[in-house]
Amino acid sequence: MPIAAGLTAIGLVLVQRLASDLLLQQLSWTIIAVGAFAATILIPRDLTALARFKWTWAFLGVLLLVAPLFPIIGREINGARIWIKVGPGSIEPWEAVKLLLVVFFAAYLEEYREVLSQSQRRIGPFPIPPIPYLVPIVAMWGIAMLVMVFEKDIGATALFFGIFLAMLFLATGEGFYAVLGLALLLVGGFVAYQLFGHVQARVDTWLRPFDDDLRFGAGYQLVQGLYALANGGLFGAGLGNGMPDRIPVVWSDFVFDAFAEETGFAGALALLALYLLFLYRGMLIALRAPTTFLQLLAAGLSFIIALQTLVIVGGNARLIPLTGITLPFVAYGGSSLVTNWMLVALLLRASEVSNRMRGGP
Amino acid sequence: MSTPIAANIRSLTLALAVAFLVTSVGVSYWTILASDQLANDPFNPRLIAASHDRPRGAILDRSGAPLATSEKSTNGFVRSYKDQSLAQVVGYASVQFGLSGVEAAYAESLIGQDRADPISIWRARYLGERQAVGSVVLGIDEKIQKAAAVVDPQRQQLAMDQLNKAPDHPLLNRAAQGLYPPGSTFKVVTASAALESGFDPTNKLRVDDPYQPDRSWGDYFVRSASHAHGLFDMSDGFRLSENIYFAQVGLQIGGGKLAEYAKRFGVGATPKLDLPGAKGQLSQSGVLDRPTLVADTSYGQGELLVSPLQMALIYAAIGNGGVMPTPHYATEVRDAEGHVVRQVAPGPQGQVVSANTAKTLTTMLVGAVAGPGAFAFGAKIPGVDVAGKTGTAENRPGEAPHGWFVGFAPAQAPTVVVAVIVENAAEGGVTAAPLGGQVMRAALGK
Repeated sequence: MPIAAGLTAIGLVLVQRLASDLLLQQLSWTIIAVGAFAATILIPRDLTALARFKWTWAFLGVLLLVAPLFPIIGREINGARIWIKVGPGSIEPWEAVKLLLVVFFAAYLEEYREVLSQSQRRIGPFPIPPIPYLVPIVAMWGIAMLVMVFEKDIGATALFFGIFLAMLFLATGEGFYAVLGLALLLVGGFVAYQLFGHVQARVDTWLRPFDDDLRFGAGYQLVQGLYALANGGLFGAGLGNGMPDRIPVVWSDFVFDAFAEETGFAGALALLALYLLFLYRGMLIALRAPTTFLQLLAAGLSFIIALQTLVIVGGNARLIPLTGITLPFVAYGGSSLVTNWMLVALLLRASEVSNRMRGGP
Repeated sequence: MSTPIAANIRSLTLALAVAFLVTSVGVSYWTILASDQLANDPFNPRLIAASHDRPRGAILDRSGAPLATSEKSTNGFVRSYKDQSLAQVVGYASVQFGLSGVEAAYAESLIGQDRADPISIWRARYLGERQAVGSVVLGIDEKIQKAAAVVDPQRQQLAMDQLNKAPDHPLLNRAAQGLYPPGSTFKVVTASAALESGFDPTNKLRVDDPYQPDRSWGDYFVRSASHAHGLFDMSDGFRLSENIYFAQVGLQIGGGKLAEYAKRFGVGATPKLDLPGAKGQLSQSGVLDRPTLVADTSYGQGELLVSPLQMALIYAAIGNGGVMPTPHYATEVRDAEGHVVRQVAPGPQGQVVSANTAKTLTTMLVGAVAGPGAFAFGAKIPGVDVAGKTGTAENRPGEAPHGWFVGFAPAQAPTVVVAVIVENAAEGGVTAAPLGGQVMRAALGK
């Protein structure tokens, strides 16, 4: 909780620094986020009740995912059709879907985890999962993938895939699933590279951003981001002394590079450490949780924050292809802020349940 | 029984922690290891913005007169340039257009972070200290430039904003980046290859215009500029610039030998220069595999392309006992107090031809300027032996040929080498030679 608050504060400072005209919006979103946080804390009387409505969550998730594809409410921004129009602004429904997905997986896997992992049949070291029980998860995941292909958002697709793999691993403990999943991701990525122009552009930009045909075109943003990192050095240029505003859309995609330019490698490391601490606290809650559902839920939610951080920081630092995922709590973006605070609220409630069960404060 | 979830949670957390570690290492690569290289990338806007809030070092000519300076104005420091005709070398530092020329090549030195002074680079990078800026001194000499600027006086009148769009590309550093067919100035390379393969320069060859070695050439002929008929030795060939003589020499020694010497003299390779330079080409395929191409290349046509700088270097090697020097625009980098931080004085590139070959060629090149009926007579300087060669290079059909003069003086111990090219000159090399003489006189103070 204090970590998330600290990160949000850093986010507000950075938005003020990088795009001061967006500050008011981000402040309003922060207030809404706090409201959503409070609501999540107060409303569902019993957290385990969430598990009972798992099919509702699944259905709601699919609905939200498909929503941007419909005319009138759907919107395409920066080449990705992942927005729906709400009043004067637009929101990214997939941000909420990631929470619903974890809740659904946690509930479903709690019920069937014994069946899934107690598979008697094996071919050599490879377990053969009992197919019928996997169908709902695979279907849910398949829908997510397909929709993301149509909505052209690589980052969200990768995130969903990661959640799917992580939850499966958490429930069954089969490292084989994870390895198989990563292999599938590589194959899928290769196929997508061959088939879709926007995927190809992303990968090319990642592999050779400094080439003359890219550095002023598709690679411009990344190259400017790398300049910012380089300018940061060990201790940074000092707050306000960098030129991160040279990076296009720095406030949402490249906050990490902006922060690293002004605070240096030391600052970047500290920021990463905060996320690691968040992961540690979240996983600790998961370990102490009394029921399988709560364990899976808390671990899945913490995993989301960690994976998002890794994917966007990796993208900013050219370790992996860049995607439009936000840096949790810090980057500008209302939907992201609100759902991440709801995520924190869910974690706190899970922690509270285990404290109550242990008779602690 | 399945693994307890707690164990799964622990392994997942561990995996993620490792991923965080890897990411941190990746970030450290960009912020620390690759930092210097990126910080000095000419397209990095920070480098240029730095010139706004602090002065940029001055660029000085040989005598210490400023060519580019930073002056304080109401909205930061503004770069001003003394002589627009030098823009192709000095370049520019602009927030909008980036860096070019010396401004780009010596960008670190001009913000007080020369590579000869790693401590100041380190202090600027990691402690954020702002170093007082020094200056970069170029070998350019104002009085020689004035003599050379006569070649194209209207270039100076172009306004800055037209520079990039103007049809005659005034911002192109023609000396190092312009590519032209060298014409007859290239004959020294053919002659070098011949002399070093044991060819006797006093041996007389029969010249009859038009020339073809045998019927298989069809209607393809090598033409003589003076429609010559008679016996020529090598010094006659240089003095009267006889294409047919050199075509026969080239065919005798063969395309392989000719290609080898062109390569030795640096044709087709990027010159070792502190500013960008063009490579040029021996031929489109890089080899001389047809007799007609060997013949045409021997007198500097065919598919040959060279920069004036490359020609100047070839003649510098001949004047210098066969040793090719390394060219450089800047001569030293100074700190804010005027102390020399770094001397820019690269050693010679190496022995290209033997001292004997160089001596023989020098004698013939003196004949090409001062001998009876010599084409390059316009480059003569009273009281000084000038060695040199004109060239009339055909470029595109229907266009007036480019005029060349490349030479050095004094012939026995040269202190100046010039390469003059007059694009689309009316009388080719005859137009270029007097300009070469003028520049050399200015350099020698005659």
